[in-house]
Amino acid sequence: MDLKDIKAIIDLMKKNDLSVFEMEKDGFRLRLQKGPGDQPIVTSTTAPAAATAANGPAATASAESAPTEDIVSPMVGTFFRAASPDAAPFVDVGTKVNEDTVVCIIEAMKVMNEIKAETSGVIAEVVAENSKPVQFGQVLFRVR
Amino acid sequence: MFEKVLIANRGEIALRVIRACKELGIRTLAVYSDADVDSLHVQLADEAICIGAAPSSESYLKIDRIMSAAEVGDVDAIHPGYGFLAENADFAEVVESCKIKFIGPPSHVIQKMGDKDMARACARKAGVPVTPGSDGVVQTDKDAAKVAKKIGYPVMIKAVAGGGGRGMRAAHNETSLIAGFHSARLEAEKAFGTPEVYIEKLIVNPHHIEFQIVADSHGRVVHLGERDCSIQRRNQKVIEECPSPIVNAGLRKKMGNTAVKLARSVGYENTGTIEFLVDEDRRFYFMEMNTRLQVEHTITEEVYGCDLVKEQIRIASGKPLSPHVAHAVPRSHAIQCRINAEDPANNFQASPGRIDFYYAPGGRGVRIDSHAYTGYVVPPYYDSLIGKIITIGATRDSAIDRMRRALDEYYVTGIKTTVPFHAAIMRSGEFREGKYDTGFVERMMSSETFQLVPPRAHLHE
Repeated sequence: MDLKDIKAIIDLMKKNDLSVFEMEKDGFRLRLQKGPGDQPIVTSTTAPAAATAANGPAATASAESAPTEDIVSPMVGTFFRAASPDAAPFVDVGTKVNEDTVVCIIEAMKVMNEIKAETSGVIAEVVAENSKPVQFGQVLFRVR
Repeated sequence: MFEKVLIANRGEIALRVIRACKELGIRTLAVYSDADVDSLHVQLADEAICIGAAPSSESYLKIDRIMSAAEVGDVDAIHPGYGFLAENADFAEVVESCKIKFIGPPSHVIQKMGDKDMARACARKAGVPVTPGSDGVVQTDKDAAKVAKKIGYPVMIKAVAGGGGRGMRAAHNETSLIAGFHSARLEAEKAFGTPEVYIEKLIVNPHHIEFQIVADSHGRVVHLGERDCSIQRRNQKVIEECPSPIVNAGLRKKMGNTAVKLARSVGYENTGTIEFLVDEDRRFYFMEMNTRLQVEHTITEEVYGCDLVKEQIRIASGKPLSPHVAHAVPRSHAIQCRINAEDPANNFQASPGRIDFYYAPGGRGVRIDSHAYTGYVVPPYYDSLIGKIITIGATRDSAIDRMRRALDEYYVTGIKTTVPFHAAIMRSGEFREGKYDTGFVERMMSSETFQLVPPRAHLHE
């Protein structure tokens, strides 16, 4: 890796509004962070590039300039935003959550599992689609 | 015929099953762990669902997640591959209870034959010769000593829930027996969840000869001959061949009929393998039954002209045995070498990591079953098998010559593989003569003249 490569990475970060870039290869480690005062981004597990039954979006770098944390699925099943079809969704963009807030239900084998936020903040994005399948590690919500 | 099958496995066998499904026009759903995102079986399946973190216990062994994936994917059947949950009777039962077809025998048969001691009892009942041993589980070290004295040393202490060559301890006298009894129980508890052990007479340097069974759901049971799996390192098979150089037509008929008799007596369905130990006097004894497809099914396929995975799927869908399988006759000779990501020059230390360049041999009579490719990262969480080379020859000699040629072509950089080890065996006079037994590998490696064949230096600049 030489200066030319590092410059190319910085340009890429600027273009895509990324705050942090980190890489490690063969004992060489590089971390580039945008400006002072930015909070570190919590890296999310990426959804696979292969076609998925869940049609989950690949977790590419967030377009938002402020860092967010992902709430990911701990299981395989069907994602529901509300307790029942006519009930209000557990959370929406803007809802404040803490560790114990139930954010959604994932149904697996006819069992409705309440999923907790396990983080605190404000829902920035609802990523998973209602009543669509989700897989292990798939991003459900983004929290700021 | 099924419309969609979930493959509850990974690596080369997941690829094998996906290929068979594709040829049958069946849609495939792969399940995978975080570590297998870029695996070939995930890339080639029609759909893929991530079921957990890298460790097997967090993914490939998670029955609930696999069943969720099966439900989400709306599959008709599940193929368990080998290892993982393939011989887990609970898993088979859960699959059946969800009205999904388990591609294998019924759960109660897996249960019966999976318990090694119960399997011996079934064999005895069916009039199949078994190695002299304890009449069931041995509870205390005093009982163990009594049994061992009666059948005569040396003996082997074996876990009832064991398999794959694990949970075993050899004992040549009472002192080592008592010690072995306790350490085998400890290992069994940790590895298989139950410490129960039984005792068998240890046949010194036996030949390991196994018979392939295929049975449909209409009561038809046949055998597709034998495989010789005596070339083992630390109780793990490394090379297999079909037919066995020490089995003649008369012995094949006798052992084959015995295998079929046993399979029939337990109501077997789908593919399975009955393993025998054969001593120097060609006496054979039932050892255990594997109620699944085996790693070495490939060489039987080549010699008997059939696709065993497709046949598994056909049988599971209710079809009777295919005529070409029911009437299969052996032709030519096949050898398989298991290529592991291990360094044979360094006590076979595991060698996971990125394959920088991968070139597999080809040409007439060479079959490669591998999920490896250039740039693939071999994960450290699972077994080290990265591929199988199978060579077919009109004669045993030509199959060996072909394997030697194929191994010399094999080019893998970035990780170490056991190719040099296999190349050395293909040059061994003892192997060429076909007179080897399960002590062969240790003898060869401790010999002063033993030399690994250095791997190909380069293929490109």
